[in-house]
Amino acid sequence: MSDVAIVGVGCVGFKSIMPELSYKELMFEAAVKAYEDAGGIDPRKDVDAFVTCAEDYWEGFSIFDEFVPDQLGAVLGHLFTVSGDGLLGLANAYMLIKTGHFDVVVVEAHSKASDILTFYDIVAFALDPIMVRPLGGNPYYIAGMEMHRYLAETGTTLEQCAEVVVKNKRNALANPYAAYGADITVDQVLDSETWFYPLKKLEVSPLSDGCIVMVLASERMAKKLTDKPVWVEGVGWATETPNLETRDWCRAIYTEIAADMAYKDAGITCPQREIDFVELSDLFAYKELQHLEALRLCRYGEAGMLLEDGVTTRDGDLPVNVSGGCLGMGYALEASGMQRLLEAVLQLRGEAEGRQIPDAEVGLAHTWRGIPTATGAVAVLSNIKE
Amino acid sequence: MSLEKITDPRRMRHWLGHMETDYRYTLGIAGERFLNEIKENARIMGARCKRCGVIYVPPKMYCEECFEKLEEWIDLGTRGEVYTYTIAYVDMDGNRLAEPVIYALITFGDAYGGLIHKLGEVKPEEVWIGMPVEAVFKPPQERKGSITDIKYFKPAQ
Repeated sequence: MSDVAIVGVGCVGFKSIMPELSYKELMFEAAVKAYEDAGGIDPRKDVDAFVTCAEDYWEGFSIFDEFVPDQLGAVLGHLFTVSGDGLLGLANAYMLIKTGHFDVVVVEAHSKASDILTFYDIVAFALDPIMVRPLGGNPYYIAGMEMHRYLAETGTTLEQCAEVVVKNKRNALANPYAAYGADITVDQVLDSETWFYPLKKLEVSPLSDGCIVMVLASERMAKKLTDKPVWVEGVGWATETPNLETRDWCRAIYTEIAADMAYKDAGITCPQREIDFVELSDLFAYKELQHLEALRLCRYGEAGMLLEDGVTTRDGDLPVNVSGGCLGMGYALEASGMQRLLEAVLQLRGEAEGRQIPDAEVGLAHTWRGIPTATGAVAVLSNIKE
Repeated sequence: MSLEKITDPRRMRHWLGHMETDYRYTLGIAGERFLNEIKENARIMGARCKRCGVIYVPPKMYCEECFEKLEEWIDLGTRGEVYTYTIAYVDMDGNRLAEPVIYALITFGDAYGGLIHKLGEVKPEEVWIGMPVEAVFKPPQERKGSITDIKYFKPAQ
């Protein structure tokens, strides 16, 4: 089986709002950049398959997958849409190439969240219609409930959660793709409005618009298209259970299972020692800590202390969300995992400019599909071919 | 890439759309019996797996763990415990609620799962994780076979 490399990336955004471009134009512009970055490939003849990632309700379309080929140069081509995060699209593209039947596969995910007039209503529509939805209210209360139990069980503090926001928004200041960079203090976070006790307003990632397209290639083609391939060493994904009542409210089990799958695929036996930096889902500040533990990069309940000790800052031993994460780049719906992946690629190519992590060789990208899901995905990447 | 881009914000146009979606959600065998027990008998029921012994609440027709069909029903009583809770201060549009709403996951003894519901007759600052609570049902004539036939859970005496 061929190894798989990311050979081209294109990003437009991320901004709090991009009113000048339609979703199709967002995708077109990101695709043009990605094809150029992949040695100037022509999507009309050089791409074997396209994978897009979108959810009908975010888009305001029924059967949205019919609306995506033209802006990617994929008309008359082989395309399918994954109703999930961009990292699930990456996993599909990776597998297509592994079959040996595909050499070049394109993955796309975007967010035009600013087009959604009733965001929380759509999230509420994802709740069980019989047991939970009739209770009404803003469905982000589920994050408040989970955070509360996680803090109670692990002893993680409100200050540690607030510190995640401070770190990630500060990291975002150095990332030109980030919408919400800011230099703020822990007190500012703790003094922000309580939305769902103990969750504060500033601990919730605000929405952003943008699009990311990536070109993946088999080893044979990767060598022709780029001199800086980033190898996909392993992918993993998992869903715990859709039922709020029977899921684990403390541990991110879906991430543990996804990580184990990716580590096995990548041949990683000691993630703490083998992984140089991490990009993970911090959709809510506490999720960064919970996910770091679930990725087995520290023991359960210890991520807050790791953060306090500076281990996860940009110049720490295990930098986490140098991109700014979702808190800094903005929550980009199904493109959230692609934001994490983009940063991993740029870091491994040595193209992260002012936020470059020195000597980064192995990076991890993680995503979570947000409220009310218990679904996550993980990819392990490296700039060194095993 | 487009060579000509919009530079005047007044030229940006939008088309407003509306997706109307009405559904009839089928309760199914387990859901119907569960909600009927609440409606007719003010009872919270669980379903027990005869293979692994796990009691599910809300009840299901099948076991998540071993995929066995669930046929044994058990009365869980009306008292439970707050497993976790939150106090919601904002509404669907992010605006401040006039009165905060307390949401909780209520667990019932050894049963697997629980019910997501609201808490009532209690101030937010008086709630604690582990607090015993009991269901407050609507009067029988107002019950219609919905999870909201339980008005809320209140601190148990």
